[in-house]
Amino acid sequence: MSDNRLDVDTLVVGGGIAGMQASLDLADQGYQVALVERDPSIGGKMIGLSKVFPTLDCCSCITTPKMAAVAHHDNIPLLTYSEVESVASNKNGFVAQVLRKPRYVQEEDCTGCRSCELVCPIDLPDDENEFGRTSHRVIYVPFTTAVPQTALIDLDHCIYCGKCIKACPPDAIDFTQQPEHLEIEAKTIVLATGYEVTPYDAKKEYGAGKLGNVIDALMMERLLAPTGPYGRVLRPSDGKQPDSIAYVQCAGSRDLTLGVSYCSRVCCMYAIKQAMLLSGALPMADITIYYMDIRTFGKGYEQFYQNAKTMGIEFVKGKVARITEDENQNPVVRVELIDENSRVAERTHDLVVLSVGMLPGWNPQATFGVPVAEAGFIQIPDCNVSPTVTTQPGIYATGTAAGPMDIVDTIMTAGAAAAEAAAYMQNHKEQEPAVPEAAPAMRDKRSTVHA
Amino acid sequence: MPDTTGEPVPAEKGQVQPQSASPDEEPRIGVYVCHCGDNIGDVVDCEQTAEALGKLGNVVVSRSYIFMCSDPGQKLITDDIKEKGVNRVVVGACSMFLHEQTFRQAVSRAGLNPYLYYHIGLREQDSWVHHECPEEATEKAIRLMSAGVAKARLMRPLEPVRLEAAKHALVIGGGVAGLRAALDMARRGLKVTLVEKTHFLGGRTAQWEHVFPTDEDARTLLRGLIEKVLAEPNITIHTGAEVVAAKGYVGDFQIRIRQQPRGVSDDFEAVEQAIAACPVEVPDEFDYGLTTRKAIYRPYEECTPAGVVIDWEHCTRCEKCLEFSNNGGIRLDDAPHEFEINVGAMVVATGFRPYEPPQGELGYGEFPEVITLPQLERILASDGPTGGRLEWNGHPIRNLAMIHCVGSRQIEGVHKPQPDGNVNDYCSRVCCTATLSAANQIREYFPDVNIFDVYEDIRTYGRGHEDYYLQASENRITFLRYVAEETPEGVKAQKGDQQPRLGRVKDHLTWGEEIELPVDLVVLAVGVMPSPVDDLVVVFKISPGHDRFLLEVHPKLRPVETAVTGIVLAGAAQGPMNIQESCAAAGAAASKVEGLLSQGRVELEPYVAQVDPERCQGTGECVRVCPQEDAIHLETFSVSGREVQRAVVTPANCNGCGVCVSACPNRAIDVQGWRLDDYEAMVDALTAEIPALEGVV
Amino acid sequence: MTAKERDEAKKQTEMLAALRKQHSDQVKQAQALLKEQQNVRKTLRGAMKAGPRTVPQLAEATGLPSAEVLWQVTAMKKYGLVIEEGLNEDYEYYLYALSEEVKR
Ligand SMILES: Cc1cc2nc3c(=O)[nH]c(=O)nc-3n(C[C@H](O)[C@H](O)[C@H](O)COP(=O)(O)OP(=O)(O)OC[C@H]3O[C@@H](n4cnc5c(N)ncnc54)[C@H](O)[C@@H]3O)c2cc1C
Ligand SMILES: Cc1cc2nc3c(=O)[nH]c(=O)nc-3n(C[C@H](O)[C@H](O)[C@H](O)COP(=O)(O)OP(=O)(O)OC[C@H]3O[C@@H](n4cnc5c(N)ncnc54)[C@H](O)[C@@H]3O)c2cc1C
Ligand code: SF4
Repeated sequence: MSDNRLDVDTLVVGGGIAGMQASLDLADQGYQVALVERDPSIGGKMIGLSKVFPTLDCCSCITTPKMAAVAHHDNIPLLTYSEVESVASNKNGFVAQVLRKPRYVQEEDCTGCRSCELVCPIDLPDDENEFGRTSHRVIYVPFTTAVPQTALIDLDHCIYCGKCIKACPPDAIDFTQQPEHLEIEAKTIVLATGYEVTPYDAKKEYGAGKLGNVIDALMMERLLAPTGPYGRVLRPSDGKQPDSIAYVQCAGSRDLTLGVSYCSRVCCMYAIKQAMLLSGALPMADITIYYMDIRTFGKGYEQFYQNAKTMGIEFVKGKVARITEDENQNPVVRVELIDENSRVAERTHDLVVLSVGMLPGWNPQATFGVPVAEAGFIQIPDCNVSPTVTTQPGIYATGTAAGPMDIVDTIMTAGAAAAEAAAYMQNHKEQEPAVPEAAPAMRDKRSTVHA
Repeated sequence: MPDTTGEPVPAEKGQVQPQSASPDEEPRIGVYVCHCGDNIGDVVDCEQTAEALGKLGNVVVSRSYIFMCSDPGQKLITDDIKEKGVNRVVVGACSMFLHEQTFRQAVSRAGLNPYLYYHIGLREQDSWVHHECPEEATEKAIRLMSAGVAKARLMRPLEPVRLEAAKHALVIGGGVAGLRAALDMARRGLKVTLVEKTHFLGGRTAQWEHVFPTDEDARTLLRGLIEKVLAEPNITIHTGAEVVAAKGYVGDFQIRIRQQPRGVSDDFEAVEQAIAACPVEVPDEFDYGLTTRKAIYRPYEECTPAGVVIDWEHCTRCEKCLEFSNNGGIRLDDAPHEFEINVGAMVVATGFRPYEPPQGELGYGEFPEVITLPQLERILASDGPTGGRLEWNGHPIRNLAMIHCVGSRQIEGVHKPQPDGNVNDYCSRVCCTATLSAANQIREYFPDVNIFDVYEDIRTYGRGHEDYYLQASENRITFLRYVAEETPEGVKAQKGDQQPRLGRVKDHLTWGEEIELPVDLVVLAVGVMPSPVDDLVVVFKISPGHDRFLLEVHPKLRPVETAVTGIVLAGAAQGPMNIQESCAAAGAAASKVEGLLSQGRVELEPYVAQVDPERCQGTGECVRVCPQEDAIHLETFSVSGREVQRAVVTPANCNGCGVCVSACPNRAIDVQGWRLDDYEAMVDALTAEIPALEGVV
Repeated sequence: MTAKERDEAKKQTEMLAALRKQHSDQVKQAQALLKEQQNVRKTLRGAMKAGPRTVPQLAEATGLPSAEVLWQVTAMKKYGLVIEEGLNEDYEYYLYALSEEVKR
């Protein structure tokens, strides 16, 4: 890597599981891949999850080795805390201008020892990783399993006391660091920019984010994770260990009032998964799932659902109309119970989890000229046969950037995007020296059919 | 503390010294106990375990950490190798199937031979099974890991078996998944051979006309794909062909293929006359038995390869068609021919078949008015039995009921099991959207038909799928919901009925009312089952899961690989998938194969038999007991002027099973990396009075 | 300290002072936040002096909203200032106590 230029085969944008897998699939075939991730660590949403359906593997056990493999792969220059600002095309492919945001800590020197973090005097809500439920210092390593293990400083809250400078063994802190610009030349691009979840204050019927004990499912993932904010499941208003927990399905999907007509595909499964994990963590708790349709369609998923039923998790068919709270901040759910002659009931729980949907993350139109389709996910013109090919030659999309999907499906599309990019490069390599072939000559070179 | 006794290895100019040069060097063992989040740590006291192991001989570092597999966890190991001179590594963590590779890579990054690392499964073999008794689990962890330490003391550097790999892949199945995989691999420069069991390409997709979520014409979709495949010089296609035998390993599989003759030459012209002359009539599987075809036939007009074939199973050799055969256009005496190819890897894309309801399930087989969704798809197809008109037995349909989840989401004890004793307890994934798509089409073309959709859950999950559901609701399709315990009763006809009725449906959308629906057609949205692959399972030693679909190693870490390296899966052979998902899976499979073969060589585990020529007496016992072909044989050597026989191993063919080790009367054979001495040391350690246990448990 | 080290230390102090000046508004705000945090922590430590307390107990003793107490206790726990001491007798709330480090 020269100082401000990088020549690679493929530029992968986004370091969630989709981007990591696509990078590995290409790098294992010998291609050079630059992986650009906006956040200080790769891992995407997946690294924040607790355990993953349908195998109930601990999520760190699946994700961290992939993160390490990416970080150590000889063919993958990894650029975290970086953004693609613009892209132009030339005869070889694309030239991307990449901004490397300053961490105020030298990436090459920092060992992630956290000495700085221990001496820094100010605690800030950890909004990036823990929804503000816990804290990090003004200087901090993003999380235990972050890759790279490099600290960064939130200068907006820094008092420049200099304690970290004194504490840092390798002298890695540098308050004068400036944004850097890097030019990346690549033959192909894979977009893996992922998704966002429905903002949990989106729905005013569900308290518009103002009820202390109504949380979203990503937050519950953190409560269930061994590295989570409380190290156990407590409700956020007062730290009570909840005895009664309810899930409200489709809170942000299949909801035309929010302009979201589609199904987010993962919420049924993650709610069931969380319910199972909760009944392990809190054996005495009652767990209810309010749903309209249970969509456990993947391999092994229906069996997962049936197991949950036998574990005593209560599945109630009904649309939740409203959530309010009582004087003890217990959420009260108003629901039409379809299996009880559509009787309307009010039920009180200790904690309510909104099974929020998947929304498109980043819109690549302005930077990459790749248009999005309905609902804001990347447009895939020939979606049946070429599910990762965008409208732009040489640019492919994988994972949830191209629509809601779970990790298994994401990994499949990552492999498919890698195959497309590789084929495109192979094709262009062959064509480069030769004059474009005429159609009849092509016909001579057709495949052999032995019928 | 063992932690501090380690003296840093002098590093020359910051370079890591390869430390595996001498097998005789003093072992300096690093032990690492992983908490695996709370998976191990909640049961096993990992700190105590690490502390206890630190007391064992040769252990220079012993640590525990929350996630050893994470980057900081791996860094503990690599730092200790570089700074503390650790030259043997023992990790106690999850299953080795998950992370053996991860740690091997970490160890080699630090300059150590990757086989100087040993993995102990503390999760599957300890914390998960003993979560009720943490103290004993901790003792077990210490014992298991001390056995690992005992093995580590004896470990020697090993080299993987490196082999040339054929840059040639086999694809089994010519549906969308197989076609797509072939195309992806060929475009990357691999040679591809595709075998398709039937005489035509396209698989099931050819049978649907209108496909969700794009409302494309399936034939156009297929034509586009097949055209691209045909244009690829790297692809060779054999139709009417099947794999009959296979041997070898990744990089070098020898595959035996049997191909049925078509019986009709490409340029045969009198097609229609020959078909008309054929007296044999059998149910046409392409129309799911709604129509019949002759023994000389073609499944549909624009099929690829074009032209007609003879169905040898039903052909009576009456020779009526030969009348039109001028100069051998039809050859009834052609025999199947067999040939062998050599490939480096293969993609199994054998697809699915629709569930066939047993006689009587919801009236199927009892009432002709009960049909399946694939049959309805054929009725709606313009080249189907009715030319696309919604008719049954010559009568236009007025009232139609569609029932979801027939043959899917079955419950043990309620539904009739398949021959293997298991019910289909899975969701078939494609039928909900396919049903609603068909319902909407009917609404569009036959607006007067009343449609009742009887469902349990509507699973229109994919991008664009929910629109079919919304449209169906807007289209005044009547939805009725049943619950699993109360499936609709089936179809019955009462005296005087003009039409049969769908009996008792307890509708949970309208106060649990029980309804009988008078309808003239009942469509069962049958689920999907894997194509029969029993023969391939045996030939390739791959495994089906509980649901009979072919099984991947791990749905997230290795989602398209089977347990046999070099054999990968694509499409509906692995589980229910729609076209888009099948094509994505095919791309992932192609990427995997590329990764394996693009270097032109593959590496196999070094755990193969090794003969000690000093001890070998040439008894040949090993050759007799070896279950593998060509793995071990006797060769003649001359030792001090005398001709003697000695056993010789062919590493590529040895699978390291160790049968020969137990048979050898002279203890002359060992499996590399797993020598008898290793086992003995480990067993001794497991059963020893472990000083390490003192004061711990 | 060698002369060179002293020199560097001085340069560093000057650089920090310059940065503080350059970002004075924002530093002021951050300092206010720090101050407030220190006060809250002090009251919480006071309330825990007598022994382990639950979040609602701490909220009552300090007058802080219980959600805020939970946040502060979680932050203190993360950096080893507070430890968790099991459930209270109703099995509803966890008890939090000052860690040995803080007690000293
Ligand atoms: C509550 C919840 C629980 C879930 N549980 C499971 C489960 O148990 N099992 C399962 O299979 N699935 C589960 N999922 C789904 C799973 O999270 C997704 O399938 C998966 O994380 C998608 O990965 P991705 O890489 O496509 O997207 P992301 O994880 O969103 O990754 C995208 C990455 O791109 C980066 N990025 C975005 N824009 C840019 C840009 N412009 N430049 C550079 N980088 C950018 C982001 O920072 C991020 O790192 C769950 C989802 C939720 C909401
Ligand atoms: C009623 C119905 C409607 C559907 N509608 C749609 C739709 O609208 N949109 C959509 O996306 N999906 C739809 N699907 C799903 C779609 O049919 C599948 O996704 C697709 O066919 C899967 O492709 P495949 O290549 O994996 O398998 P298949 O299409 O089953 O192809 C497998 C091929 O392998 C061959 N084969 C099998 N065994 C062997 C062997 N031992 N050796 C050699 N060859 C072998 C078979 O002959 C076949 O040609 C529908 C499914 C059903 C049941
Ligand atoms: S897709 Fe729909 S009809 Fe098919 S099995 Fe699943 S839930 Fe039943």
